[in-house]
Amino acid sequence: MKVALKIWRYDGATGEKALREYEIEAPEEATLLDCLDIIKDRHDGTLAYRKSCRMMICGSCGMRMDGAAVLACKTRMAEIAASGHVPVISAMGNLPVLKDLVVDMTPFWQKIRAVKPWLDTGYVEPPEKEFVVPQAEMDVIHKESLCIMCGCCVSECNSMEADPDFLGPAALAKGFRFVGDPRDRATVERLQAYSDEHGIWDCTRCYFCNERCPKGVDPRDAIAKLGAEAMREGIDSDMGARHAKWFVTSAKTTGWLRETELVPKTQGVVRSLKEIGFAMSLLRRGKVPPPFPPHVAKDVDEARQLYELVEREGHEGARGIVQLEKPLARLERHEAGYEEAAARGPYGPGSFPKPYLPGENESTEEGAA
Amino acid sequence: MRKVAYYKGCLASLSAKELDVATRALAPKVGLELEELESVTCCGAGDIHEAEPDYYLHLNARILAYAEATGTDTLMTVCNVCTLNLRQANHALKGDEALLARVNDNLVSVGAPAYSGSVDVLHFLWLVAAGEGYELLKRAAHRGLQGLKIAPFYGCQILRPSKLLGFDDPDRPESLERIIEACGGEAIDYPAKVKCCGFPIIQAREDVALAELVQPIEQAKEAGADAMVTPCPLCHLSLDAWQSKLRKQTGKDFQMPVLHLSQLIGVAAGLSESELKFKRHVVSVEPVVEKLAV
Repeated sequence: MKVALKIWRYDGATGEKALREYEIEAPEEATLLDCLDIIKDRHDGTLAYRKSCRMMICGSCGMRMDGAAVLACKTRMAEIAASGHVPVISAMGNLPVLKDLVVDMTPFWQKIRAVKPWLDTGYVEPPEKEFVVPQAEMDVIHKESLCIMCGCCVSECNSMEADPDFLGPAALAKGFRFVGDPRDRATVERLQAYSDEHGIWDCTRCYFCNERCPKGVDPRDAIAKLGAEAMREGIDSDMGARHAKWFVTSAKTTGWLRETELVPKTQGVVRSLKEIGFAMSLLRRGKVPPPFPPHVAKDVDEARQLYELVEREGHEGARGIVQLEKPLARLERHEAGYEEAAARGPYGPGSFPKPYLPGENESTEEGAA
Repeated sequence: MRKVAYYKGCLASLSAKELDVATRALAPKVGLELEELESVTCCGAGDIHEAEPDYYLHLNARILAYAEATGTDTLMTVCNVCTLNLRQANHALKGDEALLARVNDNLVSVGAPAYSGSVDVLHFLWLVAAGEGYELLKRAAHRGLQGLKIAPFYGCQILRPSKLLGFDDPDRPESLERIIEACGGEAIDYPAKVKCCGFPIIQAREDVALAELVQPIEQAKEAGADAMVTPCPLCHLSLDAWQSKLRKQTGKDFQMPVLHLSQLIGVAAGLSESELKFKRHVVSVEPVVEKLAV
């Protein structure tokens, strides 16, 4: 097939930029990475990009196609080529470009290092017996363990664009991989460190990281799990945590968000007093609803009692964060007729292999090493 | 008429009342009969999901249960954040029988209805951007926008994560553009229309949030937009009310009017000022109204 690409070429030494178009002949099954290899081998040896495994394991070939971060080795070109569209390939965002599609990953690695990405077992000499972790507990950090540190999430992070010091989705997801590990003994220290100014509460919930991650890590969900764990440990003095807590207080008292009190509850009375002028400008337009009489939801007693019940049941912390891949996969399998297929047996006509879903075999694998 | 359970959420109940008023006035013109849910609470806006995840699930299950009890199959939202929170809980409950059973036991024990999983959560935008709603909208928008240049601003949580939302392509959405054009306006294209407005952290990290907020407003201005339109009252609040703070930070006074989606369609459909309530906006919508009056 004929594949046409436009590539942003960049020379870090001179700062020169140019958008070059290439048209190549490539096999039907070619990925974006295959196409770049063909360009480099046969058309233009000066093109710079990173690659290694060619099979979505090493995380080297993160780059942007039409502005969206992708792994070049995971991106097939046949449909795009057939549509006649000429995609624009460029380096990832939020990282300095060195040459063409190669970014300087130093800031990325600095942040990974900052979250102490190793298991802190709390002992020097290993104990007599190995530490056996139940499968159910590893399932909590299953997704975060899949990260290949390609940087696609970081490339698109809206908060990091606004605050380059933000630890960001990759480092925080890595952090949760250890916070959620029952063998780690530094949970509280980690949560305190991750709750600093450029940590958990810097996340603006734009969900670009979940959208872009080529491995299904869902870093935004990992950040929510860190928030949930931090609050469970009582590490909740950051304005972001206080903001979140006020929603709970609102729901279990009036049912609806008590909007006007949200500012002093988040920022503290002293700081919010500085906002009086701004608040007045909003007040004039009816944007500051009076807190009295409160806007109370009908049958709010149900919401209050639910809170008591939930507290007693104790499903708090990271385990409570909705893990969607399981229900979504079940729903998809249902829609795809999986259950009927499964009933016919594994090798019958119309059957297809059963994907492994974390937590499915909890009862049988509990306690297995 | 398509009957839908209407969940207006916190903002449209109070600080963004104009959204509720315009949506109610517009609904019959686009074939929607709204049955407002009364015995419902805040969806948690992502904050309760983070602070008390299990409470979040229960609150949202309760909203879904009350929606189901109206006998409709559609829960209509007018806020991106409500949409994501409710859809996320809905999928979690539908896909996990044990979870649904536990939550239902608790709902019933406090006197709320149980949820069987028959409701679909749909944003108002999706109901009027396709199918019969779109056909009715084209007819209703008879007064038109007379070529007004409108910058669509989607907000995050109606696009991403797309596996949960999925109506638009998360990178090349077109539902707002379709509506703007059906209303006789010209849709402005600009890169930040799918990016974040900064609202979730505007109180805890104002500087970071404002650095995000400035992008769409600045780009829309440069592209010559007369106004912006958004399907989310949280985006609306930051784009409209926090715009004055950008003046201090950037030295630029954008004066960019920002319309709720229902207001934009409402203008084209000839709703009155008492139904649009532009006076509740911080940035004046007067220039837009004047252009249309000519």
